[in-house]
This record gives sequence, C-alpha cells and structure tokens, in this order.
Amino acid sequence: MGAVYRMDRIWAVGERVEIDNLKAPRAAGVKVYADRQLVVSRTSSPAGIKFTGEMDASNSHAVGSSIAAAMVPDHDIHVDVTDLQFCDVSGIRALVAAAGGLNHGRRLLLHGMPTQLKTVIEVVGWSELPTLEVCECKVEPE
Amino acid sequence: MSTRFAQPVDSFRHEALLYAGMDDFLAGTMPFLRGGIEAGETVLVVESAAKISLLRAELGGDGDSVMFADMSVVGANPARIIPAWRDFVTENGGGGRRLRGIGEPIWKERAPVQLIECQRHESLLNVAFAPGQPWWLLCPYDTEALDPGVIDEARRSHEFVTAGNNVKRSDDYRGLDASGAPFDLPLPEPGPGVQELAFDAGSLVALRRLVSMNATSAGLSPARAGELVLAVNEVVTNSLVHGGGKGALRIWRDTTGLICEVRDPGRFHSPLVDRERPAAPATGSRGLWLANQLCDLVQIRNFRSGTAVRLHVWLGTPTGHHQNGSTATD
Repeated sequence: MGAVYRMDRIWAVGERVEIDNLKAPRAAGVKVYADRQLVVSRTSSPAGIKFTGEMDASNSHAVGSSIAAAMVPDHDIHVDVTDLQFCDVSGIRALVAAAGGLNHGRRLLLHGMPTQLKTVIEVVGWSELPTLEVCECKVEPE
Repeated sequence: MSTRFAQPVDSFRHEALLYAGMDDFLAGTMPFLRGGIEAGETVLVVESAAKISLLRAELGGDGDSVMFADMSVVGANPARIIPAWRDFVTENGGGGRRLRGIGEPIWKERAPVQLIECQRHESLLNVAFAPGQPWWLLCPYDTEALDPGVIDEARRSHEFVTAGNNVKRSDDYRGLDASGAPFDLPLPEPGPGVQELAFDAGSLVALRRLVSMNATSAGLSPARAGELVLAVNEVVTNSLVHGGGKGALRIWRDTTGLICEVRDPGRFHSPLVDRERPAAPATGSRGLWLANQLCDLVQIRNFRSGTAVRLHVWLGTPTGHHQNGSTATD
C-alpha cells in the first residue's frame, strides 16, 4: 500500500475545492466530497452514495471516507456510478479496498456500471471479488 | 528419429530453428514434438492457424495430446507472449513434470515497429525463464521470408541455433545479462503534426481530454478510444508516482496508427516491468501491464535522459496480420 500513501502526498495540495462534509445530515443530494472533477453525494433510495465526474489518482482517496460516511450498520453499501465518466485503476483499487473492509457478509453494490468501468475491472482481473458486486437493477431517480 | 529430442533439458533451453520452406519446417518441428509426446511432456504450440492445421495433420491422433494457440492472437501485441508462456509453465510445470513449446513470434508481415519489439521479446524470454523450471522452447525462423538481419538477431537472442541437422550453441548469443539490459534503441522522431503537453500532478484531466479528442478524430470507436485514454492515464500516473512527478505527452499519427508517447525523467529497473502479471489488488503499479492489454503495441525505452513509453493503436487494417504458411495447406 506504499504507493497509495505516496499518491496522497503527491495530490494532497491544491486539488480539492471543497473538503469532506462528513458530518452533514443524512439527506439525499448532500455533498460529502467535491473537487474540480468529482462530486460525491448521498443517495436515499437505496441509501448510499453517488459518484459524478471523474476519478483518478488525484482523488481516489475520497472513496474510502465517502463510503465510511454513507455506511449504515449491518446494511450493504450502495454506490451509484452511473455518472462516473472515468475511473482509473486507483479508483477501482479504492472501491475494492472499501469492499474488502466490510464485515458481517455486507457487500458493496455498484449500480449503473459504465462500460469504461467494466473495462478497467476486467483488465485488472478483479471481476471475481466476492464483496464487490455489480448490480444490474435501475437506480431510483433522486 | 533423432534421439536429442528425447533428452530432458536441465535448464531453460531457448533454441532458434532456422527453416527454409514448409518441408524444412516440418522436418525441424515434428521430431521435437514427437520427442515431447513420447516422453509424456506437456506440449504447447503457438503458431499461425495455417501451421497449426499442418502440424495437426502430420501428428494425426498424437496431436490430441498437444495444446495449440494462435500466435496472431496471443502475440498480436508481442508483450503478451511471455505472460502466456508463464501461464503455461505455471499451470503445467512443477513436480518434475517436463514441458516443451514451439513459438514463432516473427513473420514476414510484421510491421518494422512490431519486429523490433518481437526481437526484444525474444531476448526477454531468456530473462523470464532462465531462473525457473527447465523447459524447452523452439522458435522457428523462416529464412526464405525474413531478412538476413532478422536471422542474425535470432542468433544473438537464442543460446542455441538449429538448421537442418546442425545443432549448436550460438557464438553470437548475447547472454543473459545483456538480454535484460536497459533497452535504449532509439525511437524514430515523429513527423509533422505532433501535439505536446507537459504534465504534472494536476494534468490528468487535460491529458485525458487531449487523448480522447485525438482518438475520436482518428476514427477509433468509443470503446477503443476509452481503452487508449485509460492506458495513457495509467502510464502517466506511473510517471507521476514513480517517475519524478512530471513529464511530457506527445501524440501523433503515422502510417500505422495513433501513437501516444509518455516521457519522464525516471528509470525502469525491471526489464520485465510491463509483462509481470499483477498479483493482489492492493499491490502498486500496474500501468505498463495494463497498457499492453489495452494497446496494439507498447514500446518502452530507458534512455539516459529518462524513460519513454510509446502506446500504439492501429488504424484501419491491423498491421502484422499473421499469414505465414497460409499457402502451404490451401
């Protein structure tokens, strides 16, 4: 994980325009993270978070804290990636790490997988991870 | 039948087979295959579809115990061949089980830019397999179709060279250390119409826009454009994390395709950096591996000034279509 810490050092300064708002009320649409290329907001149905924009090594550190903020004890985590226009390997790695950190049989469910995200997961060979699940259901509009 | 093919090897034996015409090809490969089959070895042949049919016909029922793979698929990007052989050795070796293979990565229709990387691949085979389990790899070279210079290079990249009944250790073999030495063969400068963008940690979005625009205007499908954008993104991320934190991207088209070049002041330390299959999800850099899975060809160079990585995507008809031997069976 050394590389991940190093990425934090490289990208820690000057990128974020709005810092995590983790203590915000649990209402849909509330931003828990935003920078120039990515917004993470809460969703209500199902309860979880939604990524909008582009995720790469400059902001993939936001995944862990955003997911932690959205967690409801003993429930699966729903992550809407319909409008995630780009996600690189570090982003997938962050999602995989978040999924791997879940306990008690909880899963991280990805909703609305774009083709680009499927490509990354296939190429890195992580499509078989038990706690990371791709959900084909439709996400309710907010 | 020659008994030399019945002997087990006690280390990785990388042997070039120089042949002239299909009869000569069969005379060189059939005893090798039969020797392997009779010794109960696991045998994999990576050849053109035409040569596979030819060998299957010659082997008859014995061919059922031999595995075949199409080199025009496996070796479309030559950097994917070593991982394929690695899989073969890992899955079938161990426990004293003996292995042998035939692989012909170089044929006449390979574009010059592919040929260079195929030749690098041949040298890297020595690095990839010398330390591991003993097995025997025979690499046929068509002396009628290929330039003499290509045959000379085969003598440098293979410790053993066979032509007809003449089997010998190659006097020209460059040895293991030189096989994995930093690759600094110059890259041709692009023609006019190059776009260049210096990058640092804040540039990823802009770089992706530039590559995406160029890929689209070059006529790549959205899927292939997306793959190139991802590949460039990962190689650049590699530069930002491991290569000094800054660099330059150049993008242009030539007669073969669309090319993106990433340069940075760093250095690659492992000669197999782009062909080691990444293990666990949490482990670090995999940008170059990924680029090889996503692009048609990747050229990696270690220069004194730093590293250069060129990602090629063919436009139109793919170059290097595997046709050798296609007239022999039709």
